[in-house]
Amino acid sequence: MKRLLITFFAVLATAIAAMAATFVKPNDMGTGALLFKSNEPGQFVEAPRVASDFDISVTGQIARTRVTQQFRNPAKGWVEGVYVFPLPENAAVDTLKMVIGDRVIVGDVKERQEAKRIYEQAKANGEKTALLEQERPNLFTNQVANIGPGETIVIQIEYQQPVRQSGGVFSLRVPMVVAPRYNPAPELVAAVSADSVEMYTVSDPVPDRQRIEPPVLDPRSNAPVNPITLAIDLKPGFDLGEVKSSYHDVNATGDASARKISLKNPEFADRDFELTWVAKSGKEPAVSLFNEKVAGNDYALLQITPPEPQAEQKRLPREAIFVIDNSGSMGGPSMGQAKASLVYALDRLEPGDKFNVIRFDDTMETVFAQAVEASPENINYARSFVNALEASGGTEMVEPLRAALRDSNAGDGSLLRQVVFLTDGAIGNEQQMFDLLGTMRGRSRVFMVGIGSAPNSFLMNRMAELGRGSFTQIGEGGQVEQRMRELFAKLENPVVTELKAAASDAAIEVTPSTLPDLYKGEPLTLLVRAKELKGDIAVSGMVSGRPWRQNIALDTAVPGSGISKLWARRNIDDAEVAQSLGQISPSDADRRILALALEHHLVSRVTSLVAVDKTPSRKPGEKLTRTDVPLNLPAGWDYDKVFGEQKPVLEREAMLDPTLIASTRNAPAAQSPDAQQQIDLPQTATPSQLLMIAGALIMALALLLQFWSRRTRVA
Amino acid sequence: MTRRRLLNLGAAAIAALGLTIFAQGAWIQAKAVLAQYLLEDAFAESVATGRPVKPWDWADTWPVAKIEVPSLGRSAIALAGSSGQALAFGPGHLDRSAEPGEPGTTVYAAHRDTHFAFLGAVKVGDAIEVTRADGRTFIYQTTGSEIVRWDNSGISTDARGAQLALVTCWPLDGKTRGPLRYVVHATLKEGAKIAEAR
Repeated sequence: MKRLLITFFAVLATAIAAMAATFVKPNDMGTGALLFKSNEPGQFVEAPRVASDFDISVTGQIARTRVTQQFRNPAKGWVEGVYVFPLPENAAVDTLKMVIGDRVIVGDVKERQEAKRIYEQAKANGEKTALLEQERPNLFTNQVANIGPGETIVIQIEYQQPVRQSGGVFSLRVPMVVAPRYNPAPELVAAVSADSVEMYTVSDPVPDRQRIEPPVLDPRSNAPVNPITLAIDLKPGFDLGEVKSSYHDVNATGDASARKISLKNPEFADRDFELTWVAKSGKEPAVSLFNEKVAGNDYALLQITPPEPQAEQKRLPREAIFVIDNSGSMGGPSMGQAKASLVYALDRLEPGDKFNVIRFDDTMETVFAQAVEASPENINYARSFVNALEASGGTEMVEPLRAALRDSNAGDGSLLRQVVFLTDGAIGNEQQMFDLLGTMRGRSRVFMVGIGSAPNSFLMNRMAELGRGSFTQIGEGGQVEQRMRELFAKLENPVVTELKAAASDAAIEVTPSTLPDLYKGEPLTLLVRAKELKGDIAVSGMVSGRPWRQNIALDTAVPGSGISKLWARRNIDDAEVAQSLGQISPSDADRRILALALEHHLVSRVTSLVAVDKTPSRKPGEKLTRTDVPLNLPAGWDYDKVFGEQKPVLEREAMLDPTLIASTRNAPAAQSPDAQQQIDLPQTATPSQLLMIAGALIMALALLLQFWSRRTRVA
Repeated sequence: MTRRRLLNLGAAAIAALGLTIFAQGAWIQAKAVLAQYLLEDAFAESVATGRPVKPWDWADTWPVAKIEVPSLGRSAIALAGSSGQALAFGPGHLDRSAEPGEPGTTVYAAHRDTHFAFLGAVKVGDAIEVTRADGRTFIYQTTGSEIVRWDNSGISTDARGAQLALVTCWPLDGKTRGPLRYVVHATLKEGAKIAEAR
């Protein structure tokens, strides 16, 4: 009898366990597990974890980085992990490797749709596969399919980027986390058709919104995830002065000309890493030139720092428009830094200047109806307005930019018109901003001040480039004064104007084709391609009103590596900039980018890297669950300010307008070729009948037992 | 304690366990029926006021449509979303699917042993009426049914014209969970405009 009972319960337990399989419901889990929506509605899966290692070697002006991402699947079923992560906005990404045990599978560059098709095919076949796609130049998605229960798959991604230099300080920024972005709601555009029935179409400023909205953990109730390790091998090519990490504690060893840097403490991907270094005083290089030969072509990277102007420059009066972001994502220390920076800027205004202040979240306000004299009263009024700002709401950035660029005296040459934009750039509609700036910039110059621990540096750099200004990053309160001082030195005036670079041989291509004005301390960076590097390049311009000219002999170049990729990457940027300025059509830009990316094996907006392990691992019939890898909230961000206020605003609007619900849900699927258009169906069986049958059986068993007990009494 | 008393006690305990499990099963059925009464009221109110109305304070969903099959005399109030919680109370309107009457496919899913227990009886040609929260009713005509895998439904969000799909688990009298789904397809009957003048 006892044996019978045990067998019965064992069978029952197995049946219940079988129903559970991979999926869990939130209540089934203990604490510490991370649950995420799977592709089967209402069911959740334990998220895969990603640990990242950054191995960076800096040689002269070029940094090459190998990122190793370990995807670990803690769940009991097969999963597909989707990890959204940032890379530097100027990174030329050329390598994807998948390491399984002791095998290494090297990825190939394919046209985006083709790569996606190869990945989906391999995924369906049960083969391990990885797909690296670019969502924005600084935002990538890595998808890894068929990670077995308890299994770890290692992915390696490699890229190079030029080292940034400004005011004699060299710097390298490694973004670590994608900050939650504000994606403006799709707009309904009315269109009248012939039979007088009004039709609505939807215009979505962020057509790929669902690809860039990974889940973010509330740091108050979750331990940080996604641990990082980092090592830098720094060989700048000159004797080093001070080497500093801006936001992390590091260990540094080495000698005068080389350093090895590593993180001192265990860290998590919740804020950018920045390393800065300077040359030992008197050893600053004025010119650096590296070359590389690839596939019959010579490529060179040239950096020149123009001479400092001799005489003190006459300060030109200016019209300064300050734009400050007080949206929810700026909550916490960011808002304080932005306010301190703007107050500093107001105090630097002088009599004769004009100014105005615009603040925005999902609403906007302009302090003065138009730019006013920088009188003490006006400045005081603006200062108290700024000091009273609080961070909340969404980030509608397009209208404030339009207001800032509206130039009432466009013909007035006596004032320099400058727009200073303080924001973390946490938006998904970058292209709308670029298109507006490209068409409306006029004589205004745009200076971006990036605030916070993980600003959107792609937005900042591209805006500065299109706006012919510069980009300054302020990551913590201590940096406000020094970095704003540097910015103001730049605001005074461009030091070098009318720059031209001419090669002695017409067959030598020089990029970028139109050279920017340079601000104080900024070097000129050129990328060169030729069949053979010979002759020289003459760089000329006006330095504080006087002509300046320098010849650089190309045969003095020092061998370097990765320069061809940087050349291609810079040309891709050029194509995108030309598109934003309306010089070429988007499809022409795509064609140009595709040719460059395929030739140089780069990931771009039209190409992806895909790797497939031909050995099948998941058997047919075993289910695969797709899930996002959760991200940390960037350090210093206020979770409630971002998710407590921003999202409900959108949801509330959507709830009130059924048409909008339909459009927000359907538009991305209809417009983006990547969107999955087929609907997965939810689980529609309840255990109700099973439970009732099991209950009845157990009660029958009890009766049987009772009956047996009676018989025992009789006997 | 005698062996007999031990047996009696065991029998009582097992009977209690059996009853509990049975009650859990019955509760799922009861909830499904009871909730529909509350949902009827909430839906009527949201049609009247033009705003989403939650059927009870702590609900995380709200009624969005009424689905009727006049030939069978069956109807159900559908809820927004298709999470397990919503489906316990009524058919769910799948998040990514179209609004009724709009181009694309409108998908409702419900449990085979509760709200969509009648789905097997829907025949080709039967009318299915869907009333939206704005009070407008769209009449669909059943074109067929099929059995599909949950992850290969063939139901496209941007299908041509206004389509309707009612989904439940297959087999209809099954007792355990499985990967198969039963789908009833219907298409919007003539006359209904895709977008109205405002």
